[in-house]
Amino acid sequence: MTDPKDRPRRPAAFRLDDAEIVTGGADTASRGDGRGTRVILESDDDAAVPAAPLPRKKRFRWGRLFWGTLSALVAMAIGLSLDALIRDLFARNDWLGWAGLALVGLLTVSALAILGRELAGIFRLERIDQLRVDAAAAVATDDAKSARTVVEGLVALYRDRPETARGRADVAVHLGEIIDGRDLLVLAESDLLLPLDRTARRLVADAAKKVSVVTAVSPRAVIDLLFVAVAVMGLIRKLADLYGGRPGLIGFIGLMRHVIAHLAVTGGMAATDSLLHDVVGHGIAARLSSRLGEGVINGLLTARVGLAAIDVCRPMPFINAERPGVQDVMRGVFPEAERKT
Amino acid sequence: MKLTTLADDARIAFDNLTDFAGGRSGGQVRLGVAGLARAGKTVFITALVHNLIHGGRLPLFEPWRSQRLIGADLEQQVHDDVPTFDYRAHVRELVGNRVWPQSTRQIAEMRLTIAYESATFFGRNLGSGRLHLDIVDYPGEWLLDLPLLAKDFATWSREAFARARDPRRADIAGPWLAHLATLDPSAAADEETVAEAARLFTGYLAACRQDAHALSLVPPGRFLMPGDLEGSPALTFAPLDVAPDARAPRGSLHALMERRYEAYKQVVVKPFFRTHFARLDRQVVLVDPLAALNAGPAAVADLALALEEILACFRPGRSSWLTSILTRRIDRILIAATKADHLHHTSHDRLERLMQRILAEPIARAEKAGAKVEVKAIAAVRATREAQVRRGGESLPCIVGVPQAGETIDGRLFDGNDDIALFPGDLPENHEVLIRRVEALVEEGRAVHAEARSPNEASLAGAGGPWAKGASSGRAAQADGDLSPDLRFLRFRPPRLETTAEGATLSLPHIRLDRAIDFLIGDKLA
Repeated sequence: MTDPKDRPRRPAAFRLDDAEIVTGGADTASRGDGRGTRVILESDDDAAVPAAPLPRKKRFRWGRLFWGTLSALVAMAIGLSLDALIRDLFARNDWLGWAGLALVGLLTVSALAILGRELAGIFRLERIDQLRVDAAAAVATDDAKSARTVVEGLVALYRDRPETARGRADVAVHLGEIIDGRDLLVLAESDLLLPLDRTARRLVADAAKKVSVVTAVSPRAVIDLLFVAVAVMGLIRKLADLYGGRPGLIGFIGLMRHVIAHLAVTGGMAATDSLLHDVVGHGIAARLSSRLGEGVINGLLTARVGLAAIDVCRPMPFINAERPGVQDVMRGVFPEAERKT
Repeated sequence: MKLTTLADDARIAFDNLTDFAGGRSGGQVRLGVAGLARAGKTVFITALVHNLIHGGRLPLFEPWRSQRLIGADLEQQVHDDVPTFDYRAHVRELVGNRVWPQSTRQIAEMRLTIAYESATFFGRNLGSGRLHLDIVDYPGEWLLDLPLLAKDFATWSREAFARARDPRRADIAGPWLAHLATLDPSAAADEETVAEAARLFTGYLAACRQDAHALSLVPPGRFLMPGDLEGSPALTFAPLDVAPDARAPRGSLHALMERRYEAYKQVVVKPFFRTHFARLDRQVVLVDPLAALNAGPAAVADLALALEEILACFRPGRSSWLTSILTRRIDRILIAATKADHLHHTSHDRLERLMQRILAEPIARAEKAGAKVEVKAIAAVRATREAQVRRGGESLPCIVGVPQAGETIDGRLFDGNDDIALFPGDLPENHEVLIRRVEALVEEGRAVHAEARSPNEASLAGAGGPWAKGASSGRAAQADGDLSPDLRFLRFRPPRLETTAEGATLSLPHIRLDRAIDFLIGDKLA
């Protein structure tokens, strides 16, 4: 209390026609202007501290060095061969050389564009990851200020998506009011993310259905394997697009790794809630036809992957909304089969 | 605290049974709204009903969010002998004239019927889709009377003295104590003396409630809000300085006072407890902590003690469907710190944490009994907006509103038409020091009570006891000046309601009222 900075500022009244008043409205009130003293909400010692993500061990990564050096070497090789090619072309004929040079220029430009898109995709994915971490922390601490930042980030993420216009408008109204941190996130979830969740659930169910049917009728195991791989990748891609990730190729590979890692964690949990259902369903279906049984298994697998992808792609953890389970998704897959069994 | 006898319990069960039999056309919730004077009970009820009826913005009220709320309507209240809460007049004042409604000084009741679509399968197919919300509005001071049921005249007198001799109350209690010293309990009763003592005692209680002191703990509550009992013998008595086991001689002053005290319990406290209080399902306790904070740690400690007593009166507990027919239990208690719009929202969390800290003990007790307790900073009607004001190098989080006519700050008088921006001061971010001081004062207050209850120890300590304490309190009082946060509040006029392009009037703006409603009745609309 003795520190002058801690001493409460004295109350004061101001006329409204004075030019000193800079902002109005609750949404702007919490922002300082950098120069003045800002009111920074910090939780007290007794308030819950946000669960800091476990620091990842910083180890020297040989794999990264290997791939880095390898790609550098490949790039050098390509450069060298291109250089040789252009020289050869010039040696043969001047116009041929110029044409080759122009093609190389176009190649460079397109490579740069692809690179930019990849980077943008990776940044978008990282932003979504960050949003999810921040949202979880804001829910845990019920901190209004960080919740507001998260919701503003969420609105910015969906700014160029016309189908979210209504949700964004609703959220904008909430932002203008005084609402607690967790409550604000619950509102944002129900206004912005619930419609997307519904679409996501349908996407997963559709993919699972397709995989089941194709597996059941395909003549060769290799074909279903290929089809499952393609369908799963397409599903992850679609879900990422739906939640605003739009990853490029590299981002997509990272996302795949994420999903698989997540699947490894949640797979065990999911097994407990629906293993019985799976086994029984599979058993009956397999008795009817072994191909049909395989179809069910593949469909379940696809649904699992899809749900894991939802968890990874959604810019917010499930707060108040119900996290979809395999049952919810699979219910739509085999309505006829369910009726038969 | 044992407040009821077997006969009382039987009558309460009978009343509940009749209620149950009579109200079958839908669910029923009895919501008690209590609060000390000027905490904003009337405004809270008016805003709650107005928002429900006019479909106000209540995003955190789940049935509203999922659009299951069909509508709400006022209905005839069920009890013929209780005044009806005059909702329409209050709305006219609040919305039409933009003045705060007159405070109610007695119990009032109203019934609101909410039509909704149930979210559950059984509710949709078997339920009626209607909920009767009976709102019971009563002064919190009456709650402070409930503990009297368990006390006899001598004990109560002792407690009243212990409080009156407290140095913080000494200056206002002076005239009454002086008059008391001239009284002899065993002398013959004289109506004039009794009336004089009661008058001075009531004056002292009223002074306790003034802004400058903002003390909350002032039983018996009906002295300040007599209603139609004003002047009746049951309200004309005062504590006497009597020994705990002294026999009152027949016809003496002591005997008369004792008889009237018992009459007060019989005529005033018991009926209130039985017919209203013991039949509540949900309870809101409205508190105006800002006034107490303004007046310093002593007032905060006093408020904490009063709330502790109030919360001890409730019969919290989880209720099952069977017990809910016979005995009602309050299973949710909301402690609402009102007038949150007088503070910038950055201070709301601090206010909630402060309230949670000073009420930690009674809250824990209620939760142990099975009730849910929540503490929220709310503003039933939000009269201000927020803004940043830059002064010199710093920018101050301010609230903007129209002060009521006659309010002054820094010597400036307002006429009730000008908007001003007010920086009300910061609540301390770390109120550990303030809380420790308040806790010490609360302990002291409890000790006063305990002393009064065990008179032998008190008499052993003799006259030196209170004075010794007085000296230490005097020293502490000096430190209090630094501790109380420097806050300034003005009374703002109610907001002007915007109308939409179609001419429909929008509902009253609020802060966290939706959250409060959801906590209180949200589960009944599932």
